[in-house]
Amino acid sequence: MVASADKALLDREPRFDDITASLASTRSLPRGVIAETRAALAMARRFNEAVVKPRARELDAAKKEDPDYLPWEIVAEANRWGFYTMFIPKIFGGGGVNLGALSYVLEEIGSGCTGIANLIGVHYLGVATLCGSWNIRVMNRVFRDTVEGRESGEPCLISLAITEPEAGTDVEEVDLVSKAKVCCHARRVEGGYVLNGRKIFISNGHLSKWHMTIAYDDLSNPAESVVMLAVHNDMKGFSFGRQEHKMGQKACPASELIYEDVFVPDELVAIDCPQGRTYRRAIKELNMQVIDYVLSGSRAGVGAFGTGVARGAYEEALRFARETEVGGKLLINHEWAQCILAEMYKNVALSRLSYNETNYANGMYGLFKVLQYKPLFYYLKYMPQTLIDRFIQPLLELPVVTWLFRKIYFDWQKDEEAQRTSGWASISKFASTDAGIRNSQLALELMGGAGVRCDQGAEKHLRDAKLLQIYEGTNQLNRLNVFKCLIARSIPDAVVFED
Amino acid sequence: MKPVAGMDVFERMVADFAVNELAGTRQENDRYPCVPLFEDVLAKARGVGFFSAMLPEELDGAQMSISELCMMLEEISRVDASLAAVIFTDTFAKELLYRSGNFESASAALARGNGSFGPLVAFPSHSDPADCGTLGAEPSDTGTWSVSGEVKYVVLGSIANGAVLPAGTKRKGYALLFVDLSAPGVEIGAPVASLGLRACPAVDIAFDATPATLIAAEGESAACYARVAGRMNAATAAMALGLMRGSFEEALAYARQRRQGGREIVNWSELRRILARMAVKVKAGELALSRAAEACETEEPGWDLAAQAAALAITENAVEVTTDGIQALGGNGYMEDYGQEKRFRDAAQVRTYLGLAPVRELKLMAGILQGDAPF
Repeated sequence: MVASADKALLDREPRFDDITASLASTRSLPRGVIAETRAALAMARRFNEAVVKPRARELDAAKKEDPDYLPWEIVAEANRWGFYTMFIPKIFGGGGVNLGALSYVLEEIGSGCTGIANLIGVHYLGVATLCGSWNIRVMNRVFRDTVEGRESGEPCLISLAITEPEAGTDVEEVDLVSKAKVCCHARRVEGGYVLNGRKIFISNGHLSKWHMTIAYDDLSNPAESVVMLAVHNDMKGFSFGRQEHKMGQKACPASELIYEDVFVPDELVAIDCPQGRTYRRAIKELNMQVIDYVLSGSRAGVGAFGTGVARGAYEEALRFARETEVGGKLLINHEWAQCILAEMYKNVALSRLSYNETNYANGMYGLFKVLQYKPLFYYLKYMPQTLIDRFIQPLLELPVVTWLFRKIYFDWQKDEEAQRTSGWASISKFASTDAGIRNSQLALELMGGAGVRCDQGAEKHLRDAKLLQIYEGTNQLNRLNVFKCLIARSIPDAVVFED
Repeated sequence: MKPVAGMDVFERMVADFAVNELAGTRQENDRYPCVPLFEDVLAKARGVGFFSAMLPEELDGAQMSISELCMMLEEISRVDASLAAVIFTDTFAKELLYRSGNFESASAALARGNGSFGPLVAFPSHSDPADCGTLGAEPSDTGTWSVSGEVKYVVLGSIANGAVLPAGTKRKGYALLFVDLSAPGVEIGAPVASLGLRACPAVDIAFDATPATLIAAEGESAACYARVAGRMNAATAAMALGLMRGSFEEALAYARQRRQGGREIVNWSELRRILARMAVKVKAGELALSRAAEACETEEPGWDLAAQAAALAITENAVEVTTDGIQALGGNGYMEDYGQEKRFRDAAQVRTYLGLAPVRELKLMAGILQGDAPF
């Protein structure tokens, strides 16, 4: 009776399970995650010193001079270092490092250059998109190509192609896409789909070989006709259009993708309505669940970018304050400057906490939960890759394996678990990216005229930071998602996306 | 802005000039120094009297009041603040020369002419001259001076005939000197790539025993600078207001036609609130600047504090408004094809005029605490 009384109290808002993901993780998180994360972060720091910081301004300038410039050499370097395979699970031949560590890596590289961090982070957005389908056979096919690319020295990146000319915010919410004007049509034919349409603002588009393309079987009912297709550059009818001329994050191209009667065979259809209808949720809810799996991971990543740019701006401001005299004494010894620097430090620290809490939630309830199941974590960690490739890989082709993963991830995920991970991802996304802008502006307050010079680093962080408030869902959409996931569910009269 | 007789005609002329000469080539001009400087526009700006704005007619000036200057800078900044920045720095430097009583020291340099857009004067307009420790000035036995050292970010330094520069001497404080930039010992660096106002060029300049003319000695220079900078505060506020207006207008136009979620985005209430807050800041800025410019014109007690406060408030609001101005356009707002990202960069850079904003806040408080004038 006492236990049930406690449960009733703790189920009131804010719910105990929603605010204790990190605490809950302490009992179930494999200890090996700590050592992996240390090693990943050390590698990211070395990469920052050796590659990012020496090249960041040069890349920015190269893009200003030639708007069609593509940083192939940086992609090749990141590939050589293993960044594109590091976080792909070992069952697909990847490095198998825990996905929570990716956020630390993205923060670190983002503190040097958000554009270069995006070159790596957006590849994992493509990885997360394919993961959201839980089609293990297609995942194996595509991820093994990336692994092959690491070994051959020919980078094989994966992009997410979702945004369309008339549908930006709309495509991230099924309640909005139902009213959207979408143009990417996937027409069912024998053996696959024929794809026609255009995608815009696709990060890493021109640099990627695979494009996880979100299309619609019925353009008049997109919310219930989502089709996710793995499209390769070599497919007939696929081509690249223009690169956008962005204010910042210039190292990472934003591309137009053009599909003209592109045939995608069934073996590369990640998920569609016939596949989705075998699970317990209605197709529209299932499509939102797929989107939420993707965004719960990717928005934590953007939270890490925001933390990184906030940190980069703080570090430039700190360096300047240590070196510069104002009014006859070092700027760092002015009390008002100390308060500004402390504010910036706080912004970084809280942003980091938010992406970490999101990743704990993903590990307990969302995208990473199977991989952080202790027996499986250690089994994969210590099992030689050759044995995995020989004995486990063939099993991934079996429909029953996809069925099992979908059972776990689609049917057995409770609504409140989906709300928790999605809501936290949105909190991290808008809090951290707002902090990125705030710190970038504070850096300029502190540095004044020196801060606007491109050779000082601070102004680049401001230009890079602004995009973070827009992509992966605008910060306004993310606020509405927090309301939807973590507030409205307790209020029967609350309606979201109606006004 | 308080109407001045004939100002509406002038305002229309300026607005038409901005639209006709700046709007179509704004994106291309902003690629400087990767593309040539917009010298043809500068020439036309000179032709209609935008330069030497506040100088008297006998010095080839347009004899503008501070209100007229502010109106002009605001209208131009709505479209492209880079030209406004050129006018601002040139006006600032020439005002320092004129108000010091030593304008004739620049006569020879200015008489040299400078291509199609006429003689300009450069100045490190983002710096506080009190923190000028990198340039030293030495007097000679004959009463002339020389300067040695370096000055960073001299705005217009690559296209001006001369520069007004603060320099340290053996005495406390700083002096203001005029340097002919064609004089021996001047080494002008490459254009400095900047966040914003890119078509308003700035360079680092090194000096090696370069001849210079003293225009205000220590003890006089601070007062001379304060008097001119007081008015220039209103001018920076005007540029910031123009950027806000342009940003709000473009955001509103876009929001009226872009559809998401089945309706025009202006009909989503959160975006409408964002636009409302932008509108509030624009209107508040317009009222504050009008009052500050009026105070500057009449030099009523506390006029300089009013101008400082207006500049601090309006430039800060411009940073916020132009940030929201991009947000209202979503992904399109971030792209160079639209005007919002340039306004965002320009507003951040306008905020840095006249020294660090926190230091200017402290100076404002020092003025209030001094209690000489009402606030």
